[in-house]
Amino acid sequence: MAKIVIIEDTQTIRDELKTFLSRYGYEVAAPADFENIIEESLKEEPDLILLDLNLPVFDGYYICREIRKISDVPIIVVTSRDNEMDELMSMNLGADDFITKPYNTQILLARIESVLRRMHGTNAQDLISYNDLKLNLYNGSITYKGITAELTKNELKILSCLIKNKGKIVSRDDLMDFMWNSDIFVDDNNLSVNVTRLRKKLEEVGMKENIETRRGLGYILP
Amino acid sequence: MKLTDYLKDKVSFLLINFMLFIVICGIMLLIEVAPGIIVLILGIWFIPLLVYMFMEYSKQKSFYDDIDGILGSLDKKYLLAEIIEEPEFIEGRFVYDLLKSANKDMHENVKKYRDMQSEYREYIETWVHQIKTPIASTRLIIENNPSEINKNINYEIKKIEEYIEQVLYYSRSNNVSRDYIIKEVSLADVVRNVIRKNSRDFINKRISVDIEAVQGTVYSDVKWLEFILNQIIGNSVKYISDKEGWVRIYSIQNDHNIVLTIEDNGVGITEKDITRVFEKGFTGESGRRFEKSTGIGLYLCKKLCDQLGLGLTLTSELGKGTKVTVIFPMGNTDL
Repeated sequence: MAKIVIIEDTQTIRDELKTFLSRYGYEVAAPADFENIIEESLKEEPDLILLDLNLPVFDGYYICREIRKISDVPIIVVTSRDNEMDELMSMNLGADDFITKPYNTQILLARIESVLRRMHGTNAQDLISYNDLKLNLYNGSITYKGITAELTKNELKILSCLIKNKGKIVSRDDLMDFMWNSDIFVDDNNLSVNVTRLRKKLEEVGMKENIETRRGLGYILP
Repeated sequence: MKLTDYLKDKVSFLLINFMLFIVICGIMLLIEVAPGIIVLILGIWFIPLLVYMFMEYSKQKSFYDDIDGILGSLDKKYLLAEIIEEPEFIEGRFVYDLLKSANKDMHENVKKYRDMQSEYREYIETWVHQIKTPIASTRLIIENNPSEINKNINYEIKKIEEYIEQVLYYSRSNNVSRDYIIKEVSLADVVRNVIRKNSRDFINKRISVDIEAVQGTVYSDVKWLEFILNQIIGNSVKYISDKEGWVRIYSIQNDHNIVLTIEDNGVGITEKDITRVFEKGFTGESGRRFEKSTGIGLYLCKKLCDQLGLGLTLTSELGKGTKVTVIFPMGNTDL
């Protein structure tokens, strides 16, 4: 489990971010002693640091530079100042990524994941499984009891979303949200077509019980 | 300055002299002075007078013509006092000093307002950054407590964010020089970002999007461009009212420019409103009828486009849809 340290002076954000990231399976620490923030943070031995720029005592730039002198831990800079200069400065001081407040939480998660993956090479995240079905996100194929089939980009996204939420009903709107957030701008009809095709492919590889439709609610992988 | 004008100005002076001469002339006739002497007196009286007037006239003419010429060729007319040479005659010198001091005072006055404006702008920018922290917290709170109500609140928060963004760009629009960084930008990336930003609206209103034909790279500022496109695409979404709505975005590469077109099948704009859509505070018939329009969005777009050197045009047909094009000029040299 990856450990994330949040360096942020607004208490609400600190607490909520902690709750949020814990829910997605990260171990989170949020030191609040800004006098010794660098030692406090590194003491936690984090896998990643989320760093705000506007901080009491020392500003984010200083902290970023100081951490870089001692450690190679990945740093994502989070700031409310929306300009390119800040981004450039942060990158020059050794930050790994830059995201502006108020961030889309899904994008924040994606950035964290990608930075972590970059640090540790390929991650187990590339291969997700559901019962006997294995979904390879890397090459977009499914394997069910030895039989393999290729999926299109849209089908891949739908299936991965349903597997991530297995056992829960995913409404059409949520599914659409998920797709649109991945830059696949499908409309209502297209989604139905894609789901039908996906079902067919799952049946072809021998998975008889697959995606179920709950009328008026959405789709579910039981 | 014309000679006749000058003479008209001096007419009373000449008249008095002339009348005096007539009176004296009369007296001289009464005491039977020889006519030759009278003519001589006329010459002695009037020749120096006229010569003096003519010299005076030429001096003034050269000064005023000079000012007039400078003023005509001057781009910033208020700089006149800095440029004209000090005249030699007394009236001119007096006017010159007056102009100088009035100008100086004007500069101070302008400076006062400039300071006030930049102070206000700084405050707005700080405010925008400050407000983002509570918004970020609200977003996280909503994310951590999923429910139907919070979903709606989230939607409203998104609108608030957009208005705040507008404030920021409004204050930046008057003073661009230090705010943008021109880089190579992929049009497809920018368009995708904007569509993603508006995804909730597209999904809710069941509007289909086609951005397949967007390609090419332009040189511009990403943030500004995103803001401009967000206003335009946001408008498209706002004014699509019936079912089967669609937004089509495509780019055409020409020799000297790339033209990005955003087309929708929304309610459109009536012909009489179309020329005024880029005016500040203008809300057309459609704007008032379908959505609460503020008349700021397109005005800002136009202003920002002007500053970035982009072209922006809009055509529309009532009931059929609207078509907005953004024109990115391309140089011949590859950067």
